[in-house]
Amino acid sequence: MSRLLDRIFRVVTGACAFGACALFLGIAGTILVKGLPAIDWQFLLLGPGEQFGSGGILYQTLGTLILVATALAVSAPLAIGLSLIQTTYLDSVRAKRRLRLAIYTANGVPSILFGIFGLILFGQLLGWGKSWLAGGLVLGAMILPTLTVALVERIEALPTKYLAAAAAAGLNRSQIVRSVILPQTRGGLLAGALLGLARAAGETAPIMFTAAVFSGATLPSGIRESPIVALPYHIFVLAQDSFNPAAHSQMWGAAAVLLGLVVLLSLLALPARLRSAEEAHHG
Amino acid sequence: MAELLRVHVDPEPIVLAARGLTVRAGRKLLLRNIDLSVRRGQVFGVIGPSGAGKSTLLKVFNRLVDLEAPPLRVEGEVELDGMPLYGSGVDPDELRRRVGTLFQQPVIFPKSIRANALFGVLHHEKMNRNHQEERLEESLRGAALWDEVKDRLDEPATTLSVGQQQRLCLARALAVRPEVLLMDEPTSSLDPRSTEAIEELILSLQDSHTIVLVTHDLGQARRVAGVVACICLRDGIGEVIETACCGDIFSNPRCAETREYLNRRAGQ
Repeated sequence: MSRLLDRIFRVVTGACAFGACALFLGIAGTILVKGLPAIDWQFLLLGPGEQFGSGGILYQTLGTLILVATALAVSAPLAIGLSLIQTTYLDSVRAKRRLRLAIYTANGVPSILFGIFGLILFGQLLGWGKSWLAGGLVLGAMILPTLTVALVERIEALPTKYLAAAAAAGLNRSQIVRSVILPQTRGGLLAGALLGLARAAGETAPIMFTAAVFSGATLPSGIRESPIVALPYHIFVLAQDSFNPAAHSQMWGAAAVLLGLVVLLSLLALPARLRSAEEAHHG
Repeated sequence: MAELLRVHVDPEPIVLAARGLTVRAGRKLLLRNIDLSVRRGQVFGVIGPSGAGKSTLLKVFNRLVDLEAPPLRVEGEVELDGMPLYGSGVDPDELRRRVGTLFQQPVIFPKSIRANALFGVLHHEKMNRNHQEERLEESLRGAALWDEVKDRLDEPATTLSVGQQQRLCLARALAVRPEVLLMDEPTSSLDPRSTEAIEELILSLQDSHTIVLVTHDLGQARRVAGVVACICLRDGIGEVIETACCGDIFSNPRCAETREYLNRRAGQ
């Protein structure tokens, strides 16, 4: 009986794994098959053409990179601080539990809500209108919980013997953070940051209200009324014009570039994640 | 004549003391009513069965109990040089600088031999390069490791053998110049040769440090400890059953629990 259950369990888990891989390969394959023919050097290195759905996606790619870089610059220090508060500085078990709940809940907030929050705060209250900085800040807020969770899990996986040895040598908490925790969780921070960025790079909802326009923008020159063009919003707008073959071709090409960007960020995070897992395992 | 020949030797002052010490984890009592006095320059051995609370007792003396999650509750009086360790205004980090610890397993940071030896002291003292080198040599010599590593100080510490790693941990503790050294079964993971080296070190450090040594190795306690306390479980709670000079406790234990523990260990 137990052997039968074991076989059923193996078949079900195998089917789940196969389903997940097939889904990803199906989506990626469709995007690549339809998108790769549209990609050439001109497509990658030129700005938009005069007609709708023509020209290249240079500024959209640069805009996406500006947004994710801003998001990282904002969220990384905050995530480090939050994760250290959660794991090292908070003594109260109840306070730790509450902060953890808040971080995990924030991680599940739909991205559209971040967009609306950004619209109200930056666009209306601060009067920035559409601004690349507002988009970057909103994306930063959106990936903050992801990054924090990754860091908290990495710090908690740190072998306690290191912390005990450092404390036994008379180091205070800040010294332990500087000389033990941060150096040994660099991999976790990098992995979390790249995964968060991969998520941020593909988000449309938070930036469509706060930062992105479809055309008429190149590189930002200020903060107020300084919108940006970005790949996710570009794809979103082109996808709505389903009867224009040129726009369709552009859309699939842009989608393939965005997919490449996301996969690249995830692959860059892989060695850090593997090293992080191995360190946690071998401690 | 008899008056003239009588030599009066003052006993060394008490460095570490516990009076009525009780330790709790939540509602569970781990240690009950512990009374101990450790004198300067003494090697104070702590023996007893596993789970009796010997390591917890060491953690009380350097306040590593504060770092347990949730922190353990300590009641009673614990003093270092007459100063209450759990009084208000006591800085646990400064206390841990004065009371060094050597753990059961060597804890080596993924850094060089040099960085490991100077790991603690560089956070406590501002030192120029020469001063650092002097302290490095002093601590590594103190741990009898200098001759083995002096030509490869910048190599990763993980390249050392386990015995050398444990001596490096001792060097790290010595570099901070602590008054007291707490050793929690420091040779349990070492081969006989490395064990012998650590025991020789303990005896040589006795002149300059007060040492509290938790050990399961009764032979080791006999060889290095001057005074031995036996902690046993009574009703599931750790208590100091007997404290006596090393010779007395092994040859003529007063308590039945001590006798039973010694006989059980001797039979293993």
